[in-house]
Amino acid sequence: MSFRRNGSLSSTLLLIVANVLIPVAIVIFATGFFPYKPLLPGLAEYEPLDGYGEPPEAPFDKLVFMVVDALRSDFVYTTNSGFKSTQSLIRHGAAIPFTAHATSPTVTMPRLKAITTGSVPSFLDVVLNIDEGDESSSLASQDTWLAQMKAKGTGKLVMYGDDTWLKLFPGTLDRADGTTSFFVADFTEVDHNVTRNIPGELRNDDWNTMILHYLGLDHIGHKGGPRSPHMVPKQREMDGIVSQIYKAIETQDHLKSTLFVLCGDHGMNDAGNHGASSPGETSPALLFISPKLKGLQTNQDSPLPDAEDFQFYSTVEQSDLAPTLAALLGFPIPKNNLGVLIPEFLSIWPKKADQAYLLHQNARQIQTVISAASGTKTFDGALTAESCASPSSDYEELACAWQGPSKIVMSARVGDDMNSQWALPVVTWLRKAQELMSGMASNYDMSRLILGQVTALLAVIFSLSTATKTVSPTRSLTPLLVISIAYSIMMFASSYVEEEQHFWYLATSTWFGYLTLRGFKRANTTFPAHLLLTAFPVLVSLRLLRAWNQTGQKHAGTPDIVKLFIEPHPHFLWLLVGLTYFWTHRQLVHSFHGRIPVPINYPVMTGLVLAAFTFKAAFTLEDAPELVVEFVKSSLLDFTRGASLIARARAVFVGLGLVAMAAMGFILWEMTGTGGNRKRSRPKRVPAEAITTLQHLYTILALTQSRTANIPLFLIFNLLYWFLSNEIDVLDGTGLSTVELAISSLLLQYASFFAMGGSNAISSVDLSNAYNGVSGFNVVLVGVLTYVGNWAGPVWWAFGTVVLLGKIWRRDQRQKRLGSGNDGKRGSDEKEEKAEAKQRLEEGPVSLFKTYVAVTTLFTAFSVAAVMAACTILRTHLFVWTVFSPKYLYCVAWSLGQHLVVNVGLSGLLYWLGSL
Amino acid sequence: MPLVDPVTMSSSAIVKGAVAQPTSTTKSTPGSQATESSTTTTGSSSPLATLRPVQIKQTPAAQTVRHALPAALTALYLFRFDALVTNPVPVMFNALPVVAAFQMTYALLCLPAAGEPASKSNRKPRPGEKKKGGDIGSSTIITALLASVLTSIATPFLYLAMVLFGAPFLTHGSHTFLCAAHLALLALFPLFYVHGVDSAAWAAVGGFRAPLDETFGGLVGGLVGAWLGAVPIPLDWDREWQRWPVTILCGAYGGYLLGRVLGGTLFWGKKF
Repeated sequence: MSFRRNGSLSSTLLLIVANVLIPVAIVIFATGFFPYKPLLPGLAEYEPLDGYGEPPEAPFDKLVFMVVDALRSDFVYTTNSGFKSTQSLIRHGAAIPFTAHATSPTVTMPRLKAITTGSVPSFLDVVLNIDEGDESSSLASQDTWLAQMKAKGTGKLVMYGDDTWLKLFPGTLDRADGTTSFFVADFTEVDHNVTRNIPGELRNDDWNTMILHYLGLDHIGHKGGPRSPHMVPKQREMDGIVSQIYKAIETQDHLKSTLFVLCGDHGMNDAGNHGASSPGETSPALLFISPKLKGLQTNQDSPLPDAEDFQFYSTVEQSDLAPTLAALLGFPIPKNNLGVLIPEFLSIWPKKADQAYLLHQNARQIQTVISAASGTKTFDGALTAESCASPSSDYEELACAWQGPSKIVMSARVGDDMNSQWALPVVTWLRKAQELMSGMASNYDMSRLILGQVTALLAVIFSLSTATKTVSPTRSLTPLLVISIAYSIMMFASSYVEEEQHFWYLATSTWFGYLTLRGFKRANTTFPAHLLLTAFPVLVSLRLLRAWNQTGQKHAGTPDIVKLFIEPHPHFLWLLVGLTYFWTHRQLVHSFHGRIPVPINYPVMTGLVLAAFTFKAAFTLEDAPELVVEFVKSSLLDFTRGASLIARARAVFVGLGLVAMAAMGFILWEMTGTGGNRKRSRPKRVPAEAITTLQHLYTILALTQSRTANIPLFLIFNLLYWFLSNEIDVLDGTGLSTVELAISSLLLQYASFFAMGGSNAISSVDLSNAYNGVSGFNVVLVGVLTYVGNWAGPVWWAFGTVVLLGKIWRRDQRQKRLGSGNDGKRGSDEKEEKAEAKQRLEEGPVSLFKTYVAVTTLFTAFSVAAVMAACTILRTHLFVWTVFSPKYLYCVAWSLGQHLVVNVGLSGLLYWLGSL
Repeated sequence: MPLVDPVTMSSSAIVKGAVAQPTSTTKSTPGSQATESSTTTTGSSSPLATLRPVQIKQTPAAQTVRHALPAALTALYLFRFDALVTNPVPVMFNALPVVAAFQMTYALLCLPAAGEPASKSNRKPRPGEKKKGGDIGSSTIITALLASVLTSIATPFLYLAMVLFGAPFLTHGSHTFLCAAHLALLALFPLFYVHGVDSAAWAAVGGFRAPLDETFGGLVGGLVGAWLGAVPIPLDWDREWQRWPVTILCGAYGGYLLGRVLGGTLFWGKKF
């Protein structure tokens, strides 16, 4: 006996070690993979350059910076655009058009960072973009053109529009009115809040920078895509604002030296989303507008025909805005800038010396950044001809390449007669430097990557050995190993990472096909009955799950059940939603039945479910009004009219909390109160039912945090749950085993995540329910709500599994009491299984949970190790920042959030409560 | 379904050819349980234990066809591959009768028909003994016809199964259906021919407990191949052949041929 105890103890220890190693590996790897980028502190000043006079005079002193969110290049430049008067400005030379290349991630905050600092934001900014409250993403301490404009002291800074600016520049803006991008169904109010401030500000002459950020066009894109019927009217509205501002600049004296910049922060893909790096997403428009620019005589053609790749006119980098604004408005280039002064504007300065000065400043500033990054003083002119013959690093090569351009600026400085193309080598060098410094491939900390990798491999080994020790017969681990290894291989192919859902759908269908096929062997069912009543419903459920939301990259935006059947038939949607809430209500009441009297049980549960339902209806009315049918509006919403969304959500959360506390109270009370006498007569039964209360309460939370169109999915989940539960109830020895339940749970956790619209792209993180009941910003609350909003299905399955584990435990107890139920029927591994059962009885119900954790740990360790290996090996791959890094972040969420917190922590707590 | 007409035409041709050859009866399977039939009646306590692997007939024609047909099928597939990629529906449709003819030939020449006494009575043929009527009589043709009817009945179910496993439902209907028809012809037709509607045998097949032979190996191979055929579809190689259902059909054919050959040779008689 003691020997077996020791074996079980060592496997428990190994399991714990494996679960400690997983987060350790993740942290070590992350610090090497997302390195901290050194930032130069402080405000830039003009570099002292020998032989030049004063900085050249700037043609402009005021700036109107108008951002139209998701303004893709073709929205402004093509024939079917609504920007008619802007196009006439292009034709007359008053507007100089560009396509500004936005690097991935194409979401607002990193883009604004690139635009204002001129640097390329690190990948981590994406995470911080979601976690909007994080102060470290603020640019208050960084050098930006806003800081430079403020330092000039010639006027105030005003901002109207997206409140991301307020978060990025706390304390910098003198007058501001931020609007929150909360409901994408809002096309007009967000923009009206900006526009109403414009006439007044155009009359004011106390500002030198006015920033306008319109969100409506982005909302239309998210809601209806680039070809939405709202798109062209919105473009006309924006065009009207452009001409309003242009007229003011033309006519009003205090605005005559105003530079007007119109740009998009990113574009959008054909589905209207953004975040990745497709041509549509990375190609926003950029225009410099002023009557003064007519002097450049650019007079370009406009409108242009459609272009597949969205490249119109000349393409510049988005970061080029910073040095260009610096030159045009007369301030030093922000310190961390990697942008290049757009050469088209050089001819504004008639003197070659001035042009040379500006380019030289740009080059000198980038050289400072390079020196800081490389840690050497490469540009001090100490380079010899020999070292340039075979440069030791990219930095050195760049330094050697500078010698030519440096001579050119020197001779331009003294006004040598040169041809009109003289600046070309300088600009080419700047572009080369920009390219080198924007690529972050050289920044990995390889030793940490390898250390993290080794730790993850150790976790794999430990989890493998504990799994083989805990699970018997060992061959029942085969499906899990097949899944884990296939998944690990898949992580190395970018398209399989993007289309990961197919793996889970196919694996889940196959696994459940196998489980149902097994049922055919049973004596108590006939073939057609089993086919019709079990196999068919289960497989159809999985097929519906698969088709519910189209996810992944390749076919994003193609029709799915939500688009084809749910959205056009809101009545049908609300019927299913109502059914889901009704079903949850029924189960909730049932789980309290016998504990509290019916006159209390019914009203309380009905009130709670109604509160949750009306919140969902009220939320949908704001978020997607087209989905709310008249019946819901009139009957349910009017009933609770006047309550704000926040109050409604809080009512739901408080109600859930109170009922959950009551349920836990019952569990503890039943344990202590009846522990002495009644426990023997009804062992394990009552408390196990009490934890189903917590399970159903979570269902309400999951419904609250899910998109309305996804709510009917919980009906499908319930059907699959019912199937698993029935499979457990088989007493002839062929019922679902613990390992099989654990594998089913793993598959359903992943499949449900993708079925609810999740993917491995950052842009698919659903934030629509992240602020339910939260008025201010609370990192923890919003984080939890976001997690539940995106992992609602997986968490539901984790909790469901706990209840089913309890069921397996009780079945095994019953089977043991029945005794000889399956004697003589089994084959070779019966002895093993008997030994396992015996061991189980000694350890108590914990052994079941241990098996479950061993299974999820094994898969998690495999996936972590595989994703790390893929990220390390493919670190120079083209898609490393668009596919593999987001996958790493998702892997972190799955292994830390879903595995450690939910599957081990919360499920363990729930299981403990259930086995009291 | 253009199954029956071309099939009977071709099979009648085979009948002539086959009758012209003097054929001996099938060689008996060695083993002590020789008297137990593969078509035991249902309802017995454990009918599954008695299902024995299918023996290919030992006639020279059968042995030739057995090896020639997989090669012919492969050749046909390779020959029509480019056309299949560009124009899946007509190519699959036109190939159906050809594949049906191949399978019919295979079944009639190589496989023991359901209920055929020759396949059951494993007594050793006495030297010089001649089977009356030859191998391919009217009853075997009727069995073959029946099997093809059963195959066409099974096709919609196979289609349904493919949809349940993720085949497009609202689009590509004819693509998927034709693919299912091919899979049925390859993997199910021989089994229908051999087992008929014997529920015990089918229970063993459905439960994956039947012993491996050319027919069951073909079924397993075809299903696994079609399943694996879905793997390359999500890759971003953007090749024409990644379009539905080329990879599935490819997997089904490859898997079927591999399963049939391996089931008939290396793994013959083995069980899962």
